[in-house]
Amino acid sequence: MKRLQRAALLSELAERLLDHDSWCGETHLQKAVYILQELLHCPMGLKFILYKHGTFSFDLRADLTAMRADSLLERRVRAAGYGPSLAPTQQAQSLRQRYPKALGRYEQQIRFVADTVGAKNVDELERLSTALYVTLTGPAGTSAEERAVKIHELKPHVTLDQARAAVAAVDELIEQADRQGLLSEQ
Amino acid sequence: MSNSVHEIRDPIHTFVRLDSDERAVVDSLPFQRLRHVHQLALTYLVYPGATHRRFEHSLGVLELASRVFDVVTAPGNIRDDVAERLPPIRDLEKRQHWRRVLRAAALCHDLGHLPFSHAAEKDLLPDGWTHERLTAEIIRSDQMKGLWDAMSPPLPVDQIVKLAVGPEASGLQLSDWEAVLSEILVADAFGVDRMDYLLRDAHHVGVPYGSFDHYRLIDTLRILPSPGKTDQRPSTEPAMGVQEGGRQSAEALLLARYFMYSQVYLHRVRRIYDIHLRDFLAKWLPEGRFPTSPGSFLGLTDNEVAAAIADAAVAPTAPGHDAARRIAQHDHFRVLYERHPSDVSVNPDAAIQVSQWAADRFGDDNVRFDTYKAREESADFPVETRDGRIVPSVTVSDVIARLPPLAIDYVFVRPELKDQATALLEEQRQVIIKPKDEDQ
Repeated sequence: MKRLQRAALLSELAERLLDHDSWCGETHLQKAVYILQELLHCPMGLKFILYKHGTFSFDLRADLTAMRADSLLERRVRAAGYGPSLAPTQQAQSLRQRYPKALGRYEQQIRFVADTVGAKNVDELERLSTALYVTLTGPAGTSAEERAVKIHELKPHVTLDQARAAVAAVDELIEQADRQGLLSEQ
Repeated sequence: MSNSVHEIRDPIHTFVRLDSDERAVVDSLPFQRLRHVHQLALTYLVYPGATHRRFEHSLGVLELASRVFDVVTAPGNIRDDVAERLPPIRDLEKRQHWRRVLRAAALCHDLGHLPFSHAAEKDLLPDGWTHERLTAEIIRSDQMKGLWDAMSPPLPVDQIVKLAVGPEASGLQLSDWEAVLSEILVADAFGVDRMDYLLRDAHHVGVPYGSFDHYRLIDTLRILPSPGKTDQRPSTEPAMGVQEGGRQSAEALLLARYFMYSQVYLHRVRRIYDIHLRDFLAKWLPEGRFPTSPGSFLGLTDNEVAAAIADAAVAPTAPGHDAARRIAQHDHFRVLYERHPSDVSVNPDAAIQVSQWAADRFGDDNVRFDTYKAREESADFPVETRDGRIVPSVTVSDVIARLPPLAIDYVFVRPELKDQATALLEEQRQVIIKPKDEDQ
């Protein structure tokens, strides 16, 4: 996917997340894009690893910084004590108008991600993305309990009960996406 | 092996001290090779003082890594909520072990640098290879592994690799504790790699704006929980941050970085010399690629490349003659176009389109394109306020909140074409930079 095409999709995703009252900081976008690319097969070409606060992509961080340099995203300090939000600018809106086909192709996937994780906070997203990572990268057929144990092993500060809840939430997310026909590669 | 202390004089840190195990690493061939790799590639063609090497930088990183480790793990500086997440921090034996791992990783973090450092890395390594991956390979090589095994007690090689190159290049999972230690070395905001190169480069280049009060900054660094209010339910993972009293030093570091990038690292003439060097290497190297096996790679330094450039510059039929001559005789390509905010607002790819237009009009060989955008968001870190709250840096510092991300685009042309190309570009600028449709 070309850089500006990806920028158009990212700004659309940020816009939709903000519509759902997401704080839309970098961590929120990192987790939302992980789901969009790895679960819903939107081919953004970003490499994700399991790192701090769950899944993380250095490529995506570079993209978001470049979008700020290009005045497509702006950092908004919204309240004392809170991290900054990333919000699309007027220029991002013009950019999106140039990519109607790409946006149309992935509109449903973007809407699904915004609908399902838009209201979640960083703490929940960290657990959810870790659970999805363990589910997608582990051997097929691994039980929910095995995945919960793995999450607790990878992130000891996530309790086993929290890990079980995260696995259940991921299984529900996958089921919902499947019901909407969003799991097949385009 | 005896564990006496070896002192090495250093212009930035006065002394760097090593034990005998570390001295053996410094004496190894892969480390000694760094004496022959310039820290700033061909920057000395623009700033004559910039002739320092990766060797002394690596020693400096070791020195700073230890200072930071000692501050952030000092019993009085550890918060209970952080200790709960990072159990090794209150275990003396484990702390001593990890201090040794961190120092080893600091020494070795640049072992995989190519001749002339970053100048030719992106285009001349086979797919999937980076200097970090080469670094990991060298640390794991039989030659280095013998040194880790001979240490007293031995150090596990994977731990050194994790801290030296981070999670992406090591391909290894980092625990929360290892992630924090890796941050001490290479973090966006306060990594000691960055601290040392800013201070050292500023000293050698002769520009004052790379300096900042690193003594004060290091004294105020702390491992902190992530910032955020309870109702936002922040992550509980710890990260490197700073006490409020060190805020101005942190701002100074970030400003130093901004100015060093805009004035030195991204200087237009320095950047075109990198491109001429890359052009030369693409013709001179077998199959146009650097070797990646440690045996071949370690035999290649700036010395061999500089000698080849000198030879090719005076031999018109030699591979890479034109690029070599340009470097040897300071006859570099000139800037035709550089990034401008008003053009970016019309089209973020304006510079790429100017480059394509120029290549179509004057030929690929007469045009070179260069672009750089900061890859990281270095300004977002936790700050511990005087009343014990943890807040994001951007909410307590207007300077940090407003620091723009660095970005450059240059289009260069052969000197003889500069005037003609400039006139034509001015005539057709708005047409050339007009955004393309999705399918174009």
